[in-house]
Amino acid sequence: MAELAMTPKPGLFTRTAAFFRGLVAKRGAIGHWYHGVLDAPANLWGWLQDRWEKMDLFDESHTEKAKTVPWYALGGMWYWVWMLVIGSGVLLMIFYIPDTNQAFGSIERIMTNWKIGAFPIGSMARGLHKYGADAFIILATMRVYRIWFTGGYKGGHELSFMVALLILIVGMYSGLTGYLLIWNQRALWATKVMATFPTYLDKNPSWIPGGDFINATNQGKTTAQVLLGGTSIGPATVTRFYAFHFMLSFVLMIFFELRVYHRDFKRMNIGRWTKLIIFLIIMAVAIFIPAAQGSPANPEVTPNPILSDWYFLAMYQMLKLQDPYLATILTVGIPFIVIFALFMDRRPETKWGQRQIFNWIGIGGLIYFVLFSFLIINEIADIHRDPPLWYYSMGLFLLIGYFQDWAYVMKRDNKRWWETFHIFFVAFIAVSMVANTLYHYFGDIREHNVRAKEIVQQVMAAKGMTMDQAYSWLESNRPALNLWHTNEVVTATGKPHGMELWRLHAIAWLAIPALGFVVGMKRWGAKRDARQDAEAAKAKPKAAATAPAAQA
Amino acid sequence: MNENTRRTFLKAATTIPIIGGAVLAMHSILRYFKPTMVGGLDGLTAPPDMAPSPPQVAAEISDLQAPWACKDFIYVRNSVEYSSRKTQGAKIPGFVLRLPDEFVADKSDPKNFYLIVQRICPHLGCTFNFVPDHDALKGGYNYDAPQPFHPYFACPCHLSVYDPTHTQDIAGSVDGKAFDKLRGKVVSGPAPRPPRTMSFDIKDGKILITDTEGGGVG
Repeated sequence: MAELAMTPKPGLFTRTAAFFRGLVAKRGAIGHWYHGVLDAPANLWGWLQDRWEKMDLFDESHTEKAKTVPWYALGGMWYWVWMLVIGSGVLLMIFYIPDTNQAFGSIERIMTNWKIGAFPIGSMARGLHKYGADAFIILATMRVYRIWFTGGYKGGHELSFMVALLILIVGMYSGLTGYLLIWNQRALWATKVMATFPTYLDKNPSWIPGGDFINATNQGKTTAQVLLGGTSIGPATVTRFYAFHFMLSFVLMIFFELRVYHRDFKRMNIGRWTKLIIFLIIMAVAIFIPAAQGSPANPEVTPNPILSDWYFLAMYQMLKLQDPYLATILTVGIPFIVIFALFMDRRPETKWGQRQIFNWIGIGGLIYFVLFSFLIINEIADIHRDPPLWYYSMGLFLLIGYFQDWAYVMKRDNKRWWETFHIFFVAFIAVSMVANTLYHYFGDIREHNVRAKEIVQQVMAAKGMTMDQAYSWLESNRPALNLWHTNEVVTATGKPHGMELWRLHAIAWLAIPALGFVVGMKRWGAKRDARQDAEAAKAKPKAAATAPAAQA
Repeated sequence: MNENTRRTFLKAATTIPIIGGAVLAMHSILRYFKPTMVGGLDGLTAPPDMAPSPPQVAAEISDLQAPWACKDFIYVRNSVEYSSRKTQGAKIPGFVLRLPDEFVADKSDPKNFYLIVQRICPHLGCTFNFVPDHDALKGGYNYDAPQPFHPYFACPCHLSVYDPTHTQDIAGSVDGKAFDKLRGKVVSGPAPRPPRTMSFDIKDGKILITDTEGGGVG
């Protein structure tokens, strides 16, 4: 007591400094966050080195499994098909002329003139290139799904999954740059869409921090002009796409071959009979369905209907349903969303029944891909009817997976129920579903109201009626117009009801994860504190035993 | 990293100039990626450098007497190209539409009777069509137009439909003249705005295009 009385009370500054020192001590949520940020570069580097060691390019670490389970031979099959495509591509390169006036004709010549006797070598080479590329994309897609559904990215194989995804994306871009070279209508309009698409990166809303600054740098327009070699599709575009078409494969190949050189492994885990069968299948398709050429490109006429190549159909349909800015962000973001979802799968389970949310993400993606393509090919898609069904089913898939997952965890160990209680996940899905649907219907009602007001005013002027008379006249003459006939609604027309879709999305996407982050950090900090306390207690049992006694 | 600060410092001091030199070397290559840009580092972010395009005839007035008469034309917009070709012409397809009298508010100016738009869809750049038929619009473009029917502009790619009789609020300028409303309201589909405009004059019974709104891929 005497000692305490002698010590002067620390001043406000000292106490404040002590408080902040306490915050950044290696304890508690803020302390862990602070030291986590400081250690992040070193930890990330270590993480990357570990994943780099385990990275799998062509399923080369599954050679034994591939002998019995064909799913694990997909990597080798894909590599073989890639080699076939490169080989036939080199043959085509000799005869193809990359110029807007001659490209179409040069392909016609390859298809019809290049023969040995009656055997059409040119048609075979082009068929091998085209259908080989299709097989490339099918196999790369199957491989991504195999890794996804078997949980193959777990145990430090995240980079293997990302490489598989990269292969698929490179394949799709090779397809896009490749089919402009044919210079037919499909090619021209697909390129037009693909080149206009980045310009929406300059249309960031100004409420996004830095949005106006990003817009002012014209990155989207610059990307478009770099792709096209100017302000329109022309000869420069064809040569550029020709260059990109090689570059994509060459860069990927150099990267892969360096790896093979350093590690010395077998590239293809399939036998020579499998290779021969794959080759014969592609050749058979090329013989029975010679690769189509379409009609020559005409920049002045867009045919109706116009379809992209089959692997872009689903995305093409998606562009019809959404605000273009949102659609651009979403399309560019799909691979990142997939990688984000991968890092959300934190538990070690790899069996089918034990990770239902992630299965449903995969199944959902597959269903939309097939369904959208089917609807658009058969011309039964309806851009006014479909969107709510799509939003609802997407939310529904995730909710089914979520509750299945919850059931599994409760059965396994009901003391750890919070492992699956992703309240923020459920909240996000619910907000998204409600927002999308409300926007769809209220957006339509808004349109009807505006039109109703205009039509009613025309009728009033033309027939000398009052507003109520005009409405009842319209109602009896054209019931299909779906007009609202209260004066309040009419006077409120022209003003948007509720918020726009992308605003709701922005709030949901930013606010809910931010809240989740704060709560998660707090709980994580508390858990680490408890673990450190337990370790400390184990290391110094005496100190731990005496500490409570001293307090008491 | 903290073990040997002197070595770290020297490494950084030699690395930075090397990276800088590499960036400068890359710039000379990257600059050429965008052939229509102005010189210097600004060029990577600047809009295309425009060359003057002479006024071009879009249509004869005598062909556009009937209401809803529509003519298509091509306007060539030049931009400077920093290569052996010197300039690059982007072909901009367009429509001249004769509006019926009941949709023209101010009849004193003869220019108000004509709607001139660029046919490049402001959504993703396809060339849109003039659709004078209700069933074609419903079947081909997924839009069930209200009665009484009048023609619409509609794009085959992503099914945007524009109503030439209505305006939509949008700010912009053509040929130095500001506008705050444009004809061609989006009534269906994903397009963010009405079609891009062109400024024009009427001389000797001909419609002359004098300038175009920027943006869009030709």
